[in-house]
Amino acid sequence: MQLEGGTGSSLRERLNKAALALLLVPAAAAAADLPATQIDTTTLYYGEQDRVQVVEPVVRATRLFGDGQILSVQLAVDLITGASPSGALPTGVPQTITSPSGKVSSTPAGAIPTTKFQDHRGGLDADWQTPIGKYFNSTLGMHASREKDYQSLGVTAKVSAEMFQRSLTVTAGGGYNWDSVFPVGGTPIGLSDGTEVTNGKNSKKVESFLFGVSRVMSRRWLLGLDASRTLERGYLTEPYKVISLVSFRSDSPIGQLTDNRPASRARSSLLASSVYHLDQDILYSSYRYYKDSWGIRSNTVDASYRHDLDDGWYLEPHARYYHQTAADFFTFGIVAGLAPPEYATSDYRLGQLTTMTLGLTFAFHVEDSPALWTVRADYIRQAGSGTAPENLGSASTFDLNPAINTISLVVGYSFNM
Amino acid sequence: MDRPAEQGSILTRIEDYFAGRFVAMASPCTVLIDGDDGEEAAALVEIAACEALRIEHKFSRYRSDNIVHEINHAAGRPVTVDDETAHLLDYANTCWEISEGLFDITSGVLRRIWKFDGGHKVPGKQAVEECLRHVGWSRVTWQDKTLTLPAGMEIDLGGIGKEYAVDRAAALLAARTKSSCVVNFGGDIYAGGLRRNGRTWSVGIDDPGRTGKAALYRLDIARAGLATSGDARRFVRWRGKRLGHILNPKTGWPVLGAPSSVTVVANTCLEAGTLSTLASLQGPEARTFLEQQNVQFWIV
Amino acid sequence: MKTSAKWLLRAAAVLALPGMFAGCASVKPWDRDLLADKRMQFNPCPMLHAIDEHIYFSKEASTGGQGVGGGGCGCN
Repeated sequence: MQLEGGTGSSLRERLNKAALALLLVPAAAAAADLPATQIDTTTLYYGEQDRVQVVEPVVRATRLFGDGQILSVQLAVDLITGASPSGALPTGVPQTITSPSGKVSSTPAGAIPTTKFQDHRGGLDADWQTPIGKYFNSTLGMHASREKDYQSLGVTAKVSAEMFQRSLTVTAGGGYNWDSVFPVGGTPIGLSDGTEVTNGKNSKKVESFLFGVSRVMSRRWLLGLDASRTLERGYLTEPYKVISLVSFRSDSPIGQLTDNRPASRARSSLLASSVYHLDQDILYSSYRYYKDSWGIRSNTVDASYRHDLDDGWYLEPHARYYHQTAADFFTFGIVAGLAPPEYATSDYRLGQLTTMTLGLTFAFHVEDSPALWTVRADYIRQAGSGTAPENLGSASTFDLNPAINTISLVVGYSFNM
Repeated sequence: MDRPAEQGSILTRIEDYFAGRFVAMASPCTVLIDGDDGEEAAALVEIAACEALRIEHKFSRYRSDNIVHEINHAAGRPVTVDDETAHLLDYANTCWEISEGLFDITSGVLRRIWKFDGGHKVPGKQAVEECLRHVGWSRVTWQDKTLTLPAGMEIDLGGIGKEYAVDRAAALLAARTKSSCVVNFGGDIYAGGLRRNGRTWSVGIDDPGRTGKAALYRLDIARAGLATSGDARRFVRWRGKRLGHILNPKTGWPVLGAPSSVTVVANTCLEAGTLSTLASLQGPEARTFLEQQNVQFWIV
Repeated sequence: MKTSAKWLLRAAAVLALPGMFAGCASVKPWDRDLLADKRMQFNPCPMLHAIDEHIYFSKEASTGGQGVGGGGCGCN
């Protein structure tokens, strides 16, 4: 009996061809080839409209060793220029302000006063990961960074254990930082007119703890829960920020007081993260609840959707929403004549605010090179939402919560050596 | 039947090679590794077992949480499948074409009316006709990675699943080690090359009438796929004849005059399995068919 | 330190929710095909993540989430 396909050999040929086509479909899980050393570089261009600009190149080298150990070293340089709000209130007339470093800024009427500054920062980070036995993994890390008026040294240690056939991972870790603040022009006394300063360094110690659980919920879904607690003690004030002193007799602020914050801060956060594998794409999402002993509470929701194209190229749109309440001692201004508070700040970053981010990452290879380029553009919009009390005088007629628009662009380049 | 590899595989050292055993796809499975590294051998067996179980889980018609279940319960709605399933269906389609409709993955529903337990029960004409209305790949719409089965029809990938798993597992092992390995899932085999010192692997083919007793044939293979079609234990008696369990999707009846067992050696286990099934479907012409294919074979 | 230990214990108790620990019939080995995908991690691009952390740490009051330590800075 003759089958379609003519003679035996062409039937076999057809079969052979069909079998090969089927067997050459890439298998779902392929054993990964470990590169010897991976180099990742990123350069950040960050620009707030009319405010701060930052350029930050970073380079990181990661080396994998045969027994599962991983060493990673990173160098970062930060170049920051621009102007940031001083904390003072806007007035009906143009103002000129001299910053502690001697820079003169002028502010138009009705605008939030800012002070110009310029800084550069260098940082070195290293961490070493090593497996212990079959189920445990440990990481030791160190950090050192320095800028004109701030120095930070830190160590971290973390241990994780895998259980239930690697379905559940439990992690515990801690870190300790010794920071030092030495403001340009000396450290002003808190809640004073700023003329009296002390010289020398102010120390700040930070202890942090982390406990996390992550679980493989199903074939497609990873879920993680992390709790962290941080205790800061020492000099926690922003030495360059001021608070406007207002009087009901005057239309404009009559003076300024320096910022003063408590000498301790306890922060707690709970983070829930999810990674979900759809048919081809992956959805990353997370929610974080944060609160601290300064009265600030915040909620953060973050989501990214990774869509892979061919050859390792991918597109990943991303969105983030953040909202925080104001610190207990946040104030838009202090009324003269009343007993001054023990702590106060007008730093908008401790006030009630909302941040929204929309971004897109695009990763691609150039020609046949295995090196990966990543370009990420983000639009960030941040606006305060607190209402100023009526006794601030004419200052409350101005927009105390202008929206700040920021563009952030990251260009990354990764390759193996 | 469904034992996780990590707990259920056993590794033994035999002479100068390793043998890892586990159960998957309702069959005893063995992986042989021509090497001296016990840890590597254990890892390789694990890889093969995971792949076998992955494929079983994904394509078994007995599960209620996989693509086959979705397809078989779609009640006439189109189902879009992933790449791997699409290629498997393409392969089944090619087999259907070259066999002029004798190899048909929709013929599984016929098992509802046939029981191959050695008894004398055969279905009546009406039952067969009724069942045949739900058989026929020509009734299926398959294009652009979307499969539409008319309601009441089912696909059964049992005829190619095991051989496919063997080839897949063998490919994963070959990517992972230079040692020659043999993957054997219930008699469907792939040998990955010459052993050390240029030796071949020695495979025994059972006498289907005397399973468990000494092998009928021994063959030496280096790099080849081997599969056997036919199962002497599954048959039904009718008018003094023994009817094997391979059903002709056009008549709804077992293939009359099919050989007890057909073993074929080919480039891949998948091809070997398909050729042995196609040969069985030829009934008394099995030998002629295989002679035309220019492959090594045994018919019992 | 003591309050931190108490807090961590409380956190551990909260995290030992039925959802996470119970039903630990784990995902079978043959179901790990998707999980082997390199992208299936909480933090697949650590450098980009670190940049984000730095930006938001400088512009917002909250910190923390997934890591410990790292560096402080006088970001203004």
